[in-house]
Amino acid sequence: MTPRKIPAPGASGAIMGMATVIAVELVGALFLRQFLLIEDWRLVIGLLLIFGAAMMVMERVPTVEARIEAAFARHGRLAILLGIVIVLGFPFALEGNTYALHLCVISMLYAVLALALNFQLGSANIPNFATGASYGIGAYASALLALNFGVSFWLALPAAAIVATIFGFLLGIPSMRTRDSYLALVTIAFGVVIHQLLNNLEFTGGPNGLVGIPVPELFGHSFGDPLVIFGHSLPAQANFYYLSALLVLISIIFAGRLHDSRVGLAWNALRTDELAARCQGINVTWYKVLAFAVDAFLAGFAGTIYAFYVGFISPDNFTFLVSVTIMTMVIAGGMDNILGVIVGAFLLTLLPEKLRAFSDYRILFFGVVVIAFLMIRPQGLFPQRLRRYGD
Amino acid sequence: MAAPASSRVVLEGENLSMRFGGLVAMAEVAFTLNRGEILGIIGPNGAGKSTLLNIITGIYIPSSGEVRLEGQRLNGVPAHRIVMRGIARTFQSSRLFADLSVLDNVIIGRHTHTRAGVFDAIFRRGRAKAELEASAAHAEMLLKSISRGLHEQRHRPAGELAQADRRRLEIARALATDPKVLLLDEPSSGMDDADTDALMDDIRAVCAQRPDLALMIIEHDMRLVASLPHRVMVLDYGQKLADGPYEEIRKIPRVQEAYLGRKATQHAGA
Repeated sequence: MTPRKIPAPGASGAIMGMATVIAVELVGALFLRQFLLIEDWRLVIGLLLIFGAAMMVMERVPTVEARIEAAFARHGRLAILLGIVIVLGFPFALEGNTYALHLCVISMLYAVLALALNFQLGSANIPNFATGASYGIGAYASALLALNFGVSFWLALPAAAIVATIFGFLLGIPSMRTRDSYLALVTIAFGVVIHQLLNNLEFTGGPNGLVGIPVPELFGHSFGDPLVIFGHSLPAQANFYYLSALLVLISIIFAGRLHDSRVGLAWNALRTDELAARCQGINVTWYKVLAFAVDAFLAGFAGTIYAFYVGFISPDNFTFLVSVTIMTMVIAGGMDNILGVIVGAFLLTLLPEKLRAFSDYRILFFGVVVIAFLMIRPQGLFPQRLRRYGD
Repeated sequence: MAAPASSRVVLEGENLSMRFGGLVAMAEVAFTLNRGEILGIIGPNGAGKSTLLNIITGIYIPSSGEVRLEGQRLNGVPAHRIVMRGIARTFQSSRLFADLSVLDNVIIGRHTHTRAGVFDAIFRRGRAKAELEASAAHAEMLLKSISRGLHEQRHRPAGELAQADRRRLEIARALATDPKVLLLDEPSSGMDDADTDALMDDIRAVCAQRPDLALMIIEHDMRLVASLPHRVMVLDYGQKLADGPYEEIRKIPRVQEAYLGRKATQHAGA
């Protein structure tokens, strides 16, 4: 028996814990809803200040963070169930705002990409600047399959992920001869090569990209039609909202299970000290290549959904800048922390959209906000946690 | 009746040389290590002690010569496979996984005794989890047997440990691989006398629990070298100067000169 650090919860303690979980999740959802719906830039700044203040409280008073964490650990099932209910019900709370739904879809796809990169950057400290390229490979592979061979979305999805994984291995193997900054250079080169190939090859449509990717169908329901649930009609984007939410869920399960496994431990070991990891019997090369493959696999999925969602892809959707953005999401959100990475992805996807009022200066403001959050929370919004066993 | 010599030898080196470009770090060194034996290695800085450890553990590939573990050639075998064959080590400047918990450090030492890969972790979670929990239980037991104090700190990040506990943890992590040979690179460096005494007791306890385990210890602390090893090997400028019980090798003038310095030699002679 392991002695528990947390005192045995009494009846009132349990109710307090449940109330904490419910309050935190509802406030989080409400915050996201308001952030998505408001137009006025002053309100945007106000919400960012509230978020910053909350983060500052968590940084200054660690007991607040510890108490919330303990509540979530104790009432894990409640937290998951409520989370699923909130995600399912969220589109109904958006007042049929198609733009807000669209932003949700894009944020969730970026959340998947950030989770994918987190296996490398967060778990194993491999600076991979080619996640955007894997994303593009997934998108192009599925779109080409659909356009040239009439393959349905549901078959193109796994096929594209496999193609992206193969490319991930192809990138991973030469990268193993380098490390640190040189490794970063190899991945940057790979991203540029993929972008140039997509731009110049005949069958990828060159700079014009691929047009007219068919809308997916499921049991006769086209994803281009409004979604009617219990007599309540949601805009067509809701179809992709639920699809991306499912992909995020799958990615979270993947990430969580890998993190809490021997593989996650081996990645963490080689992150801290490669030589020491080798001397514990870890095949460092294999685990690094594996991280490349897992990253590309998830990025391929996200790429497929993106291609079928917007129906039109061009090389400019998958530039080096996309890779850098994904990397910022992981760093600002919190390395090797699933929740942190997802929050980072949402924040960094939504910020430029919400700062449109600043027109030409919005990228400047975007940078200022990211730096401000990193100053408040230097380890990222939600830093890495130690593992626990037998709890 | 003593067992035949060949079966007692667990690790041996023959004619080992290591050249880095023009620099000869090690020249034709031979050594043997018997089951259950503690071999001390001394020599001034740059004598090739750490080079020898790096050759044995597969970090360097020797320019010539051969290392054999139980008669099997180790040259060219990658470092992570050498661990699997049964050689574990610690480092001169302790190289723990500082941002992971003490327990995780030891669990990582169980890597070669576990199997779960990516597919098991995702699709056969029960199996992967059971395996990891078993590793965790083993690691807890190991920590408890090495030091109660360390076991109580098992959920702290390894980077927060005191110097003496870091050494203990490094030894625990190395032992988690179930080695036949354990190589310790200056385990007492940076420790005061009290900590060094405690360390020696810990090492003796480890050896008492594992009568077959062979140890190779690089050391500078003469108190430790005098009392712990059964046999001491002296290296200087990449060559072997002497090999024998401490009482014998300390009398050899060249050893005194090489290791203790000329002044000490005169002092010892007076």
